[in-house]
Amino acid sequence: MTAPSGTGHPYRSFDLILSVPLVLYLLVILGLTAGVFISITPAALRTALSDKALVDSVALSIGTSLTSTLLAVSVAVPAGYVLSRRRFPGYVVVDTILDIPIVLPPLVMGLSVLIFFSTPLGRWIDRGIWKEGLFVYQPLGIVLVQFIVGAAFAIRVIKSGFESLDPRYEQVAMTLGASPWQAFSRVVLPNVVPALVAGAVISWARIFGLFGPVLLVCGTMRSRTEIMPTTVFLETSIGRIEVALVVGAMMILISMTTLIVFKRLGGKGYLW
Amino acid sequence: MVKGRSIDIKALCFRIGSFIMQDVTFQVHGGEYFVLTGPNGAGKSLLMKLICGLHHPLSGSICIDDHPLDGTPPWRRQIGYVPQDGVLFPNRSVSHNIGFGLEVRGMPRRERDTIIHRMTDLLHITHLLDRLPHGLSGGERQKVSLARALVFEPDVLLLDEPVSAIDEQARDEVCQELYRIQRTLGVTTLHISHNPLETNLLADRVGVLDQGRLLQVTSGNKGTV
Repeated sequence: MTAPSGTGHPYRSFDLILSVPLVLYLLVILGLTAGVFISITPAALRTALSDKALVDSVALSIGTSLTSTLLAVSVAVPAGYVLSRRRFPGYVVVDTILDIPIVLPPLVMGLSVLIFFSTPLGRWIDRGIWKEGLFVYQPLGIVLVQFIVGAAFAIRVIKSGFESLDPRYEQVAMTLGASPWQAFSRVVLPNVVPALVAGAVISWARIFGLFGPVLLVCGTMRSRTEIMPTTVFLETSIGRIEVALVVGAMMILISMTTLIVFKRLGGKGYLW
Repeated sequence: MVKGRSIDIKALCFRIGSFIMQDVTFQVHGGEYFVLTGPNGAGKSLLMKLICGLHHPLSGSICIDDHPLDGTPPWRRQIGYVPQDGVLFPNRSVSHNIGFGLEVRGMPRRERDTIIHRMTDLLHITHLLDRLPHGLSGGERQKVSLARALVFEPDVLLLDEPVSAIDEQARDEVCQELYRIQRTLGVTTLHISHNPLETNLLADRVGVLDQGRLLQVTSGNKGTV
């Protein structure tokens, strides 16, 4: 721990005491993570890496999670801006509804999606265009479920970013000749980049490990709707714990790499 | 060169929360330096925002050279506005802050740079062009904000307590600069101030606003300080 300035920090013992819970928690996380890596055997690693279904599940996990994160941020930017800058009748109700995906157990969210697709409107949306269905038991369903959960987190973080930006910036930009679009794109957005990055990271982190609703809506069809969390579930349920551990370790590595890349991009003040 | 257009405010009424602005009427003549003074909460900054088009009046009219601004959005009003503490865009360098008004009007980079340099030479801030706003002093911020508001040749200039957030020494310097620039460009200026010394130094005429009403308009005592 670095003292704010100089070498003789007068509050060293105070800092040390406050650091104890942090160190203990770090040890718990490191211990659990290390346990996963230590338990991997070379044979399990070979088995896992030669399994085409597993490679497909990694590709589908990365593809769907990045797509849904992009969609979540695309919705969160305009939604967060409107919620941060405008007050309208029913504002509190709208703001609270947006929290439902955050507080609702993901499994219940998955059930709700399934129930919706069993209604006439849901059936029409799912099977009206393509007979085999667009969402239920389809890869697009994974993106849909991930998006529903991830967007709520992205909106929360990005909205707080807009709220922390003085509205006078937009006002001054407009008096200088900028249209509302120009003020938004040239003044507002560049000044909330840390919040945008943080919104994307938090949304992606939630999406990447999402399991229950994906299982309910899309099932676990090998090389079709199987993503990494469902692979861990499938491999564990058939007794191939060592392969499940390899997938778990890969998820840790992918998460760490993605988070580090995101943090290098920005997010200061929101992520660390 | 910037033109000196008149500002005509007639029977302006506005309400926000419990604050009411009632029947404010006055004129700022073309090329004039008009200082608006009054206690905190009198509605001075609000009046400026109404002129800028950031709020819409309940009734009354605001005209620039007899051209009513009703229904004209802020970005088409051609008004140079310097808010309290400058409000420089933190992600843009001084050069990009000053050139913002020209950039959004689609002016090519080279032409823009020429105008920016001309303006920064006038305000003696050319050495700041590559700096970011967070590294500037209060006085420098205000000069940059002034340059940003003047660079697109506005019809009128609105200054909302431009020197209130800076130290006394820098305040005098910025006031001298304001006076010099206003006289050089001849731009009609409406300036909000709490400071009698500042008012005496700059004002051709002085208006006093209190509780949303214009109490009086008198001639300034320019040069008495």
